[in-house]
Amino acid sequence: MPEPMDASRARRLIEGCLRRELAPDAALPRENVDLVEEGVLDSMAWVSFLRALESSTGAPDLGSLLMGRPSSIESVLAAIAASDGPTVAELPVKTTAIADGPVEGVFLVSSGTAFGSRNVPSEEVDREFGMPVGKLRKRAGILSIARVAEGESELTLGARAAQQALRAAGCGAGEVDWILATSETHHSYPSLGAQLHSLLLARESCGVLDIGGACLGLLNALAAARAFLAAGQARTILVVSADVHSRILAPGRVVGEFGGLFGDGASAFLLRARADGENAYRLGEFQFGCAGQYAAAIRVASAEAGAPGGALEVQFDGEALSRAAVSRMEKVLHDAALRSGFALAEAAGFATHQPNPRLVELLARHLGVPVEKFPLIARTCGNLGSSTCGAALHTALAAQAEVPAAKRKPVFLASLGPGLLFGGGWVEPAAGRA
Amino acid sequence: MGPAFCVIGLAREAEKIQSLRPLPPRGKGWAHFPHRRGDILEGSLLRLPAPPPHVEDRTSTRGLRKVGEVGEAEIVPFLRQAETAGSLAELFGCKIRESRRGAGLYAAPGEAQRSICGCETQNVRLELCGNELRASLVLPSGEALRDLPMVDRDWNEFTEAALAGERGANRHARLERFFNSRFHNKVICCPHHYIRLGLTRPFHDRCWVMLDTLFPLPSQEWLEEF
Repeated sequence: MPEPMDASRARRLIEGCLRRELAPDAALPRENVDLVEEGVLDSMAWVSFLRALESSTGAPDLGSLLMGRPSSIESVLAAIAASDGPTVAELPVKTTAIADGPVEGVFLVSSGTAFGSRNVPSEEVDREFGMPVGKLRKRAGILSIARVAEGESELTLGARAAQQALRAAGCGAGEVDWILATSETHHSYPSLGAQLHSLLLARESCGVLDIGGACLGLLNALAAARAFLAAGQARTILVVSADVHSRILAPGRVVGEFGGLFGDGASAFLLRARADGENAYRLGEFQFGCAGQYAAAIRVASAEAGAPGGALEVQFDGEALSRAAVSRMEKVLHDAALRSGFALAEAAGFATHQPNPRLVELLARHLGVPVEKFPLIARTCGNLGSSTCGAALHTALAAQAEVPAAKRKPVFLASLGPGLLFGGGWVEPAAGRA
Repeated sequence: MGPAFCVIGLAREAEKIQSLRPLPPRGKGWAHFPHRRGDILEGSLLRLPAPPPHVEDRTSTRGLRKVGEVGEAEIVPFLRQAETAGSLAELFGCKIRESRRGAGLYAAPGEAQRSICGCETQNVRLELCGNELRASLVLPSGEALRDLPMVDRDWNEFTEAALAGERGANRHARLERFFNSRFHNKVICCPHHYIRLGLTRPFHDRCWVMLDTLFPLPSQEWLEEF
């Protein structure tokens, strides 16, 4: 935890912020004077002073801590001393190498998920793409695809998942220090993270970071959040993934064997530097890599100008990609098991990327674990891009919430992105090993 | 506003519904207003020349008499037919500025064309900040308005009741938890959720944007839930 700010530094910051609200030649009031009651500041200036102070001290809860107390410098000093917010300016710079071993105290405290509200049978998708009816069901194991309805977007799905995660933790958007967002389909500005920040009404001093990696984006974001929290640069972080493929990978733009696999969805996770609540999970280590030899197995780019219907150029070697996907996910899951000290057989679940359900069945066979341990999001929703792994993790954790805390087990994570990027890790019950 | 408060009503003129602000015969605020929200009143209101933006001011020249009432859910459809806006620029017909330190928004008195406007919101959050109740909201345009003084009388009374000493320990934390959790389902998901923004009287050449009305109104029963 950050060290408390010393009183002389706190006084200096208070004076600096107060001077910005007072007339230039005004004398500083005594510490016990009620600034509002005595008319030193009006209510707008008082709140403005507190917001400036929250920002400069890095303690976002000052306004809340001052409720029921006089609006005096004395009270503000006491609130700064009582705040457990990260006093960023005071922290020594420290680095935390992931390779150094597990970082103590980074916890996933709640999660949420949202899917496009239209559930489209795979046979209908076959027809849309001009494929033989039954192809997606037989070849890929996909029964239906979740697609957005009019009015739904990455933003609305992401916000829905985020609000679910916030409410599950009883956490206000004002408590969030960073929003880390990832999407493989949102390519406009303001970025998804910035739009989520506004829609959720996070406080202005909450940072935003949009993270790439396509289907690996969620794990990238979780790893970045873990580093921020471990370094003491944040107290609460919201990680959100949201993908709406149906407006990009549409019939006429891409072939059905590729575009027909994808659905629309979102996931969200609230991470903290302390294990709040009985459903908290400690975030384990992450491992990432890039198998460049498979870079050509999947490429998606805008077609040259003048191409009919805004077609996308999709290079998709399904067979090579399938082999690479299974081998890399198998590798990172075995590595995660070794580093965590948990056997794969002990896992409560596997939250992995799911290019299609058939590949998940193959991966389960290779690992020697029952396929039932993989929440099969892709079977009813399709491949949700960066949100597949998130929706699977949310589902696995929701199932674990029904189990007594002492009997809960870890969930392993693995995902992939074009490149071929890969990564994995695990979460384990905060209460300790079963 | 001090101990007095302002009252906003709706009046139908021809086919148009518009907001107006009945004022007592003297002064700008009511120390006591013997009617409730939703009451339908009859009376004589005089339009005196008022400098913009408070063009809705009407002086009450004889007692307002209650002739009926409508429920909370019935008020909102009328509010939606009155002045509405979907973006910051449309709210008061002028540029809305941010205070230099970023807490609160204001309009220049000479620029604003009106002082009352309703709007739909994508999200609303209430927050306690140093003994002040503040609201932040997102307009349909995606623009976020932060740290608006919350002056809705019912919501302020609800907050006071929630923080009353007899409610036991951790009152502030409990109320904050309510604002962060159940508030969403009770208020934002309510079919007649609607807000009305207003501008304060000019103060140091600024008319601050405030949250005048938040529907649905809080229920005393909610206090038993936290």
